[in-house]
Amino acid sequence: MARPAEIVCDALVIGGGAAGVSAAVELARAGLRVELAEQRASLGGAYHRQPSGTTATTSARGRRQWLRLTAGLAHFAIAPRLRHVFLGVDTDGLGLLDDREAGRVRTVRARALVVATGAVERILPRPGWQLDGVMTAGGLQMLLKETGEAPPGEILVAGNGPLNIALAADLVRLGRPPVALVEAGDPAKNLGAALRIATFPGLIGEAARHLARTGFAGTPWLRGATVTAIERDGARLAVSIEDRRGGSRRIHGDMVALHDGIRPNDFGLPAVSIGEPIVVRAGDCREVLGIRGAEADGIAAAREVMALLSGTALHRVAPEVSRQRRAQALLAELFRPVREHDGLRHLPDETVLCRCEGRTVGELRAMLAGPDPIGLREVKLNGRFGMGVCQGRFCADAVGEIALAARPDLAAGPLSRDRWPVRPVSIAALAAPDESRGE
Amino acid sequence: MSGGSFLWRGAAISFRAGESIASALLRAGERDLGADGAGARLRYFCGIGACQNCLVSVDGSIAESCLTPASDGLKVDPVEAVHG
Ligand SMILES: Cc1cc2nc3c(=O)[nH]c(=O)nc-3n(C[C@H](O)[C@H](O)[C@H](O)COP(=O)(O)OP(=O)(O)OC[C@H]3O[C@@H](n4cnc5c(N)ncnc54)[C@H](O)[C@@H]3O)c2cc1C
Ligand code: FES
Repeated sequence: MARPAEIVCDALVIGGGAAGVSAAVELARAGLRVELAEQRASLGGAYHRQPSGTTATTSARGRRQWLRLTAGLAHFAIAPRLRHVFLGVDTDGLGLLDDREAGRVRTVRARALVVATGAVERILPRPGWQLDGVMTAGGLQMLLKETGEAPPGEILVAGNGPLNIALAADLVRLGRPPVALVEAGDPAKNLGAALRIATFPGLIGEAARHLARTGFAGTPWLRGATVTAIERDGARLAVSIEDRRGGSRRIHGDMVALHDGIRPNDFGLPAVSIGEPIVVRAGDCREVLGIRGAEADGIAAAREVMALLSGTALHRVAPEVSRQRRAQALLAELFRPVREHDGLRHLPDETVLCRCEGRTVGELRAMLAGPDPIGLREVKLNGRFGMGVCQGRFCADAVGEIALAARPDLAAGPLSRDRWPVRPVSIAALAAPDESRGE
Repeated sequence: MSGGSFLWRGAAISFRAGESIASALLRAGERDLGADGAGARLRYFCGIGACQNCLVSVDGSIAESCLTPASDGLKVDPVEAVHG
């Protein structure tokens, strides 16, 4: 029987980006009672986050997509639950949402969950990446979108992939060109991939606009180059950069934005399930497919839920999803780092690996060098790698890579990432008696 | 919601409508968010609630400063000062 505090619905969609919103609309279209939970104070996700300032940083096509999606929400009268953080599924199969506005946890009885929590950026560890003033490119972009301006100081953008170029172009637009854009790949040289990307007109157009803007602002675009260290120098940051021939230079700045790609934000989520509560994933948290893929994948996820609820299995096919998968593969080829990947062997021992607990590369290597056979489980439990509050989101891949490079005999498999509680929940919120949690 | 100011370590920080606590702090040049209970430094990093490195105490409860909208009169402090 439903407790008074319980929210009862057919489907709970988690995440208010393009994938979550499109899934919610599609489920409502089929007549299902839908709840949409988003942790932020507004919908939009990584791409459509609405700026409170005046600059619109998305393309015209992007804005049309968001208008279409929000019109769908209005049409089916879906009122999103904002500032509701999804915590997990309890042992009774109830979804738990931390209502940050009210300061209490709500339970949701849903027959199906669509998890659309997006991506996290991949940030390779580098000496000094734990300093304040160093942030992810997406983190910086979020600040630009929130305020329509860049935080004070000179900014250096470094890493790998197209999103850094988009960020640099945004900075130029705001009158704050970065002091340098450091790129591990050399997209200007990968002609083959560039030509094939031309078959995705939207992609090439956007990239060309970004590049032109950055170039005209006089930002040095250092290709085939990597940041080898970030150090504090008085109140500023000194960034050491190595080019493809091993030559090095230092550039000073006040802030460094790092970004080496994106990967699904699939940490601490309930397992996919075809039995009730049904759990499916949609958008970047299932597979990183970009903004167009996200909308299509949300619709595909909704159809899968409907099929499962009616007792039929559905093989998820969506032509747009396959198309965007090809586009992503081409982008990866275009931006392939110039230098061979070395399993992070180049990192000095003192490099912080786990940002949450300050554990270093040297500590991991020492553990792996011990005489006893060791598995990733020990690395995690005894070394406390991947045990911090970020649940390994920013170290698990690097830990696995360093471990395998040092000990090829190591039991393979990812560092498990199923530990929760996921997020800070106030004890008061958890302890709030049911009666006071009424709708 | 319109702009206003909140208290950070007891000093007023002004913010704009729609801005998070983290964003307002960074614009004010406040990057070091103190230490967590275990002594690790806290600072803004991912902006999306994923790294948990930007935790602060907001009116006594711990929350990600990047996800929490700034609002008038909030009392924001480093985690250590409240829960040390
Ligand atoms: C930094 C960055 C820059 C990008 N730039 C571009 C670009 O220029 N062009 C392009 O085509 N694509 C870009 N992308 C990719 C594009 O943003 C994504 O493909 C698209 O946004 C995916 O949509 P989604 O709905 O799957 O995820 P998202 O848009 O990421 O939405 C996920 C939503 O889930 C919410 N959420 C997460 N966890 C929880 C939780 N526990 N409880 C409640 N809510 C939660 C988040 O707050 C977010 O609103 C970028 C991605 C990133 C990360
Ligand atoms: S900056 Fe990463 S959780 Fe707030």
